Amino acid sequence: MTWLVWRLHRTQLYIAAALLAALTVLLLVTGLQMASKYHSALAACAASHGCANLASTLFLGSHAVGFGVIMTLGVPALFGLFWGAPLVASELETATSQFAWMQSVTRKRWLAVTAGWMLLAAAAWGGAVSGLVTWWSGPDNALQLDQFKPGRFDIMGIVPVGYALFAMALGLCAGALARRTLPALAVTLAGFIVVRSVVTLWLRPHYISAVTVTYNLFSGYTPAGSYWQLAQGIRNPAGQLVPAPNGAAIDGIPLGYLPSACAAAGKGGPPTASCRQALAAFHGFITYQPASRYWAFQGIEFGIFAALAALLIAVTAVVLLRRDV
Amino acid sequence: MIRVQAVPEAATAIRTSGLSKRYRRVTALNDATITVPEGRISALIGPNGAGKTTLLRLLAGLTRPTGGEMTVNGGTPRQDPAFLAGIGFLAQEIPLYRRLSAEDHIRAGAHLNPCWDGESVRERLAALRIPLDCAVGTLSGGQRAQVALALVLAKRPRLLLLDEPVAALDPLARRNFLAILADAVAAGGLTVVLSSHLVADAERVCDHIIMLAVSRVRLYGDIDTVLAEHQILVGPRKDTSAIERDHRVIQVTRTPRQVTMLVRRCGPVIDPAFQASDVSLEELVLAYMGQDPPPTLARLTSIGDDE
Repeated sequence: MTWLVWRLHRTQLYIAAALLAALTVLLLVTGLQMASKYHSALAACAASHGCANLASTLFLGSHAVGFGVIMTLGVPALFGLFWGAPLVASELETATSQFAWMQSVTRKRWLAVTAGWMLLAAAAWGGAVSGLVTWWSGPDNALQLDQFKPGRFDIMGIVPVGYALFAMALGLCAGALARRTLPALAVTLAGFIVVRSVVTLWLRPHYISAVTVTYNLFSGYTPAGSYWQLAQGIRNPAGQLVPAPNGAAIDGIPLGYLPSACAAAGKGGPPTASCRQALAAFHGFITYQPASRYWAFQGIEFGIFAALAALLIAVTAVVLLRRDV
Repeated sequence: MIRVQAVPEAATAIRTSGLSKRYRRVTALNDATITVPEGRISALIGPNGAGKTTLLRLLAGLTRPTGGEMTVNGGTPRQDPAFLAGIGFLAQEIPLYRRLSAEDHIRAGAHLNPCWDGESVRERLAALRIPLDCAVGTLSGGQRAQVALALVLAKRPRLLLLDEPVAALDPLARRNFLAILADAVAAGGLTVVLSSHLVADAERVCDHIIMLAVSRVRLYGDIDTVLAEHQILVGPRKDTSAIERDHRVIQVTRTPRQVTMLVRRCGPVIDPAFQASDVSLEELVLAYMGQDPPPTLARLTSIGDDE
């Protein structure tokens, strides 16, 4: 069975290997350049004790490569589209299923071996791309502290492996249900985008209850490390949310929301002592996921997509074993 | 003294009872009850859409019945390596991986079957001058059919189910293939069911027939027996109710002077007014299928009918 899987899909694997090799070369070359640039800049600023604003002054790498790296968001979907969806659909469409499933191998075993190898391949390729991107982004993460933010979180660590497994299983299942390649492709693409969006936008922020810190406006507050900011704002003494300034403001408070003591400051004069006192009653707050939860979130999200993949494979098995083929 | 000896029932390759397959709106096969003894080459004959493919797919376990029971090679069709090893099935579409070569298919078969005679495929294809290393998709339709037929034989099944296997072959290749089938069956341990709408193919090698029309089994049995059971009766045009009472009338053709009937006999025909003659397989098949015969035939046989 393994031999047939290899024989049928080796061309796809060769193409995927070639693309991965090209990506490896690109990221290796630019990644090494970025790392050396970062380390020399760090050494230079340490000598002059001016590393505080390194993040805003230093730009690493090129926009083109950076864009390419962001685009690896779509890599898992490719596994689903090019490997997963045609796997069962094309067998049914071209009737070769009647060759494969009339040998002395049960459909259960056929599915187990085929899906097993293809899921393994998707996980391996997804993991390789993710590993490269994670390594490549190392200096940039150290500089920008943004690895927890949506868009970055999704292309690093172990979650891309989960997405790849999910996309492959989704393609398989769509193919078994649709029985034709083209509709299976459409369902796979749409399903992948919808599920990924729903999880990213509505589920991920709530894996663990977010931390909210209230702080004094004059001192300010920045959580440590690569945290993920969910909300930030200012509340007036009554606890009401002050809208973000859309014009003139003092300490981030729009003029219209300033206490009466600050009327003079609002007209351009310097804030009086009573104004400062009134402002002290305003509080800033930040709701965020601390940097220390990064791997817990990676683990939870990987688990969700791996479980979805398992569910889809189970549905595929039921369809292939229970329905007419 | 009468000695009663239990006659051992010949082993049956296929036995179905009330087998039905309904799709949402159409009934593809209705209440099919057939028996095919081991070692037969059975012709599954019927017009297009009669349910031949459905019956074969049910027997192969690719489709699940909606009613009735069946026993194939002594078991119910199921997903089990031993059952699958005993069945060779070749679908009408000649399913082969277009980008793989014949040699790839032979090697795949070796990996997928416990008992595989790849050498026989290589020999047969070499004799037919079909290249082993070209992608199957580049071969002609007839060559593809030859590859698929050789592959399905290489599996050495106990029961071979072939859906319109010779449709893509030229007359010579058709004759050769049927001869190969007959040899394989003669060697023992093989039963074949092949669907066709050509009676000529059936007459050449088959010794058993299953006739389907409009999703129903019209007739099945050993061809010799079936032919012996039927007779054409030609007699004067008179009251035929006696014959209709004693025998099953399949087809009646009346002209002003005489009446021709194809009957399934239940006992001897004793009416001396009727002349009995044997029926050919072709006549029999047409009679059963054409219980509403094609328009041209209907017109010809009703010439001068005063009704």
